[in-house]
Amino acid sequence: MFELRKVEKNFPNVRALKGIDFRIERGEIIGLVGENGAGKSTLMKIIYGAYQHDGGEVLIDGKAVRFENPRQAMQKGIGMVFQEQSLIGNLSVMENIFLGFEQQFVRFGVVNWKKMAAAARFQLAKVKLKIDPKTITSKLSFAQRQLVELAKVLTLEERVDGDLVILLDEPTSVLAKEEVELLFRLVRELRSRASFIFVSHRLDEVLELADRIYVMKDGEVVDHVVSTEAVAENIQRRMVGRDIDKEYYREEKQRPYLPEKVLVELDKVSLPGKYYDISLKLHAGEVLTLVGVEGSGREAILRSIFGLQRPLFGTISIKGDRVRSFNARNSVARGVGYIPRERKVEGIVSGMSVYENITLSQLRNYSSAGFLKIPKEKATAREWISKLHIKAPSEYADCGHLSGGNQQKVVLSKWRSGGSDIILLDHPTRGLDIGAKEDVYDMVRAMNADGAGIILIADTLEEAIGLSHTIAVIKDGKIQKQFDCKQGARPSLFDLVHYMI
Amino acid sequence: MNLDKLKKHFPWITLVVLAIFVGLLDPNFLRPENLLQLAGDISTLFIMALGITFVIYIGGIDLSAQSVANMTTVLATLLLPLMGGFAALACIAIGAVFGLVSGFVSTRLKVPSFIATLAVGGVALSVGQYASGQKALYMDAAMREQAFGWMTGNIAGLPREMLIAAVLLVIGLVIERRMVVGRVLKAIGAGELAASASGLNVDRYKMIAFSMSGACAAIAGLLFAVKLSGGSPVIANGFLLPAIVAVLVGGTPLTGGVGGVLNTAIGALIVAVVRTSMLYLDVPATAQQIFFGLVLIVAIALTIDRSKVRTVK
Amino acid sequence: MLSLPNRDELQKWTPVLVLVALIIFFTVVNPNFLSLRNFARVGISATPPLMIAVGTTFIVIMGSIDLSMEGAVAVCAVVFAYIFMALGGTLDGWAWIAIPACCLVGAVFGLINGIVHVALRIPSFMASLSMGFVGIGLSLVMTGGDRIRVEDPIFRALLTERYLGFPLMVHVALLVLVAAWFIQSHTTLGRNFYAVGGGEDLAHASGLNVRRVRIIGFALAGIFYAIGSLFAVAQIGIAETATGYNFMFVAITSIVVGGTALWGGSGGVWNTLVGVLIVNVINNGMIVMGLPRYIQDGVLGVLVIIAVVLSTDRKSLAFVK
Repeated sequence: MFELRKVEKNFPNVRALKGIDFRIERGEIIGLVGENGAGKSTLMKIIYGAYQHDGGEVLIDGKAVRFENPRQAMQKGIGMVFQEQSLIGNLSVMENIFLGFEQQFVRFGVVNWKKMAAAARFQLAKVKLKIDPKTITSKLSFAQRQLVELAKVLTLEERVDGDLVILLDEPTSVLAKEEVELLFRLVRELRSRASFIFVSHRLDEVLELADRIYVMKDGEVVDHVVSTEAVAENIQRRMVGRDIDKEYYREEKQRPYLPEKVLVELDKVSLPGKYYDISLKLHAGEVLTLVGVEGSGREAILRSIFGLQRPLFGTISIKGDRVRSFNARNSVARGVGYIPRERKVEGIVSGMSVYENITLSQLRNYSSAGFLKIPKEKATAREWISKLHIKAPSEYADCGHLSGGNQQKVVLSKWRSGGSDIILLDHPTRGLDIGAKEDVYDMVRAMNADGAGIILIADTLEEAIGLSHTIAVIKDGKIQKQFDCKQGARPSLFDLVHYMI
Repeated sequence: MNLDKLKKHFPWITLVVLAIFVGLLDPNFLRPENLLQLAGDISTLFIMALGITFVIYIGGIDLSAQSVANMTTVLATLLLPLMGGFAALACIAIGAVFGLVSGFVSTRLKVPSFIATLAVGGVALSVGQYASGQKALYMDAAMREQAFGWMTGNIAGLPREMLIAAVLLVIGLVIERRMVVGRVLKAIGAGELAASASGLNVDRYKMIAFSMSGACAAIAGLLFAVKLSGGSPVIANGFLLPAIVAVLVGGTPLTGGVGGVLNTAIGALIVAVVRTSMLYLDVPATAQQIFFGLVLIVAIALTIDRSKVRTVK
Repeated sequence: MLSLPNRDELQKWTPVLVLVALIIFFTVVNPNFLSLRNFARVGISATPPLMIAVGTTFIVIMGSIDLSMEGAVAVCAVVFAYIFMALGGTLDGWAWIAIPACCLVGAVFGLINGIVHVALRIPSFMASLSMGFVGIGLSLVMTGGDRIRVEDPIFRALLTERYLGFPLMVHVALLVLVAAWFIQSHTTLGRNFYAVGGGEDLAHASGLNVRRVRIIGFALAGIFYAIGSLFAVAQIGIAETATGYNFMFVAITSIVVGGTALWGGSGGVWNTLVGVLIVNVINNGMIVMGLPRYIQDGVLGVLVIIAVVLSTDRKSLAFVK
C-alpha cells in the first residue's frame, strides 16, 4: 500500500539516496538497518514529509503523493515516533497527544478538559498505558513518554481514512530489557491498526520484530530479506561490506608507536549514564580509535578527555599529570587539541580569517603585553597553508568560505602549529570528498611521525581499521574488546560489528 | 560586486548620501566649522556607543549605559571638590566596576545580558538618586575649570570633546585590531563555541567587554557633567536609544562578530546628521524618538545574522 | 506521610513563602504595616503594574519578552484621555467609548509589536524595546509634553469608591486577573503559549502555527497594557507620557520574582500576582520603615538577578548571550 520507487535525494555535494525501492503492506512490520550515514534517516524524513524527494515517486495505494511537510504526511496516515522525543515537557499528557488538533474539544473558545481527558484515555488504552492524562509529561519515565508518543501518532487512526504507517526511530536505544519486550508485544498487537517501519542499530531486535528487512548502505538498499530466512552475519556483512584499499588509508606509512611514552591514561573512568569503567592508554605515535554505534558513549569519553565533561569516578592523566580541573583551557594548555565533528560550529570561527583561526588557541605565543604580533601570525599561517596545501586565496581568506576539507586543515593547523601532541579527532572526514579524506589520512600519519598521539572516532569502520594502531570497541558505555591492529593483522569489519551490536 | 560585499559599505554610503541631502537643503551645513561642531556635539553619545559596541560585538547588549552615565554625572560633581582631577579616574573606575558586575551576572550567573544590564542599570540609578539626594547638583566653576577645563572648548579650531572621542576611537581600534582582547572578542561574537573549544577563557573576556562598556558610559557621563557643569540622576536620559542606534546603523549587528568601533563612529555621525536634518525639516524634537525607534528596527532587521539565531524568541 | 518537597515543589511555593515572610518582617519592624489601610495602599499601587505584568506574563511564558510596555501604556493613556475628554469628559455620557477604544489601541500596538518581532525575525527584546521608544515618542508628539487631566468623578470612582476597604480598581483588577487566568488555562490560545514556551520546534512540528500564536500573544498583552493604563490614569487623574514610566522594570521584576521563568513554558498569572505583591510590599514596607523611595530601583535590580538565578536550571544551558 505504501511504496517508494526509485526515490532520489540530493544535497549539495552529496547524493544521499540513490534510487531507493521500498514498499510496505498493510499490517507489516518492516525493519530498516544500516550503519551511520547509510541514508536511513534521510529515507525516513522523506517518508514522513520532513524532506521532499528529488527523483522517483512516493505512492500510496498506487497513487503518487508528495508531502510538503510532516503535517501533510500525517493527513495521509503517516506518523513518526521520534527518537529524540517530540513531547513538550511542561504540558500535560493529553495536551501533548492533541497538540495542534485541540479544535475538536473547543467550544466558544473554551477547552473542554473533561472531553479531552476522555479522548486521551481512549488513546492511552491503545498503548496500554494506565496514567492520568492530566499528568505533566516531564514527570513520566522515558519509556512511558515513548508510549505517549506512540499514542499521539495513533490518534491518526480516528483522524484519517485509510491505513496508518508508523515509523519507529531507534525506539529501544534507551529502554531497559523488559521495556523493550513490552514495546515489542504492543507493536505486534497494534499490527491490526497500523503498519510499522522499525529502525534500529540492534540487529537482533530487528530480526526478532520485523517481517522483512531492508539493509542500507551508502544511500542504497543493498539487501532485502524476509526475517525468518535472514542470517544475522550475512546482514552485517552487507551493512559494512566493501573492499578496502590499503593504499587509501596510507597503511604503508604506519609506524609502530612508542610504548614507553604514554600521553593519555584513563584509569577506570566512569560517568554514569554515559560510560563505565574505561581504562585506556594513548602512546606517542599511536592512533587509538574508539568504535561503537551512535550513543555508545565514545563521544562522551572524548569530551571528558578534552575536559568538557567531568567524569564522576576514576582518573584521567595527561602526560603523567592527573587532571583535576576539567575545562578546555587546561587541556589545551597540556597540549590537547580537539577537532570536533561540528566543524562549522566548534572547529572554525567563520567570519575570521585563516590566520586568525590558526592562532586562536595560542594567542599567548603571538602577542606581547596583550598586543598581537600580526606579522608573525601571518607567517605561521602562510607556512601551514603551504605545508598542508590549504586551498585558500591567502591567509586573509574568511574560513567560512573555504571548503570542508580546507576548513578541516585549518583546524588541524591550529593545533599542530601550537605544538599540540594529543589530537582528538571526532569524525574528521565527515562530509569531505575523497581527495580531502586522503589528505586527512596523510596528516594523521604525519602527526604520528612527529610523535603525536591521536584518539579517533572514525566516520566508517573501514576508516577505523585502516588508520588505527589500536581499536577499542565500545557498546553501552563499556569497552567490549580491544584490538591490536598490526599491519597485515587487522581485525575485519565483521570482528568489530560483532562486538558493536 | 555582490550584495553581501556591498552591505559592508552601506554605513558610510548612507552617511555620505545623508550629508549631501542635508547639504542640498542648506549649503551652510557642509561648511567645515559646522561639520566640526556637529562632530563635537555627538562626541558624548559616540563614547557611550563605543562602549556598547564591544558588548554587541560579542552578541550581548548593554542597557545599563544610560543609567551608569547618569550616575557618573552625579558622582563626578560630588567627587570634584574632594579629589579634583582624580575624580575623573574614580568615575571611570566605578563605571568599569558596574560593567564588570553586569558581565559577571551575565556570564557566571547565566542571566541574559539584557536583563542583567537592566538590573545593574537599576542599581546605578538608585546610587545616582541616593548620592544626589534626587536633585540637580552644580559644579563649582573655578574647580571645574581647574580640573576638567581641558575637556571643553576648542583647540586649534577643533572641539576638544571631539579630540577626546577621537583618542578613544583610536584606543578602541587598537584594542579591536591589534590586541588579544579584540581578537578574542571577535571570536566570541563570530563563534562562541569554537572560541571556547580553542581553550579560550570566554567568560573572562566577556566580562572585559562589559567593563569596557561601563567605563565608556562613565566617560560619556563625565564629559556630559563637565559640559553642563553639574549632574543629576536623569540628565543623560534619552541617550540609550540613539547610542544603540549608532552601533547598529554603523553595521555591528545584534548577533555580533562583525563591525566594530569604526563602524560605530560612522553610525554616530549618521545619528548626528539625521538629527540636524530633522531640524532643517522642522520635525519636532519629540518625533525624533519615533524615528530612531523605527530606524533601530530596520537596522536590526537588515544586519542581524539569522544563521546564528536558530529560533527567534 | 511527610516527605521532603522536591526541587519543583520548592520552586513553586518559594514566591508565596517569600511574600509571607516579607509581610511578617515588615509587621515586626512596624506594626502599622499590618493594617487594612496600608494593605489598601499596597493594593492601589499594585493594580496598574499587575495588569501590565499579567500581559507580559503571556509573552514570557512563550519564552519571549516584551519591553514595550512603557511606550504602550503612554500611548494608551494619552489616546484614552483625548477621546474621553473629546466625548464629554464623563462616563455619564458617550465618553465610555474611550475605554474600549483604549483597549483597541493597546491591541493594535501589541499587534504591530508582534508583527515586527515575528515577520522581521528580530529578537523580541530588541523589537519590543524599539517599539517602546516609538510609543513614548508617539505620546510625546500627541501631547507635546503636556498633561491631560481626567477628573470625571465617575471614572475616578475606581480609586475613590471603596468596598470591603479596597478601592473599586482593586476589585476590577482581580476580575481581569481571573479573566487572564481563564485565558491561560481554559483556551487553546493560552495552552498554546505554554506549548510554544515548552518547545517551539516541537510545537511547530505538531502543526501549531507558532508565528500566529506569538503575534496574537503580543496583541493580547497590549490589551492588558491598555487596562493597566486606565487604572494608572484613574489613580492620579492625569494622562501623560510619564504615565508609563518605570512599568518595564517593575513588570519584569514581578514576573521573574513570581516564579515565571524567563526561558518560557512555566509559571502563569497567579505567579505574577504573587510577584507584583512581593515587589509592592517591599516598596511599601521600605516607605513604612522610613527608607527613601529611590532605593527601589536598586533593590528591584538585585531582586531580578536573584530570581533569575534561582529559577534557572543552569546545567541545562549551554551558553547565554
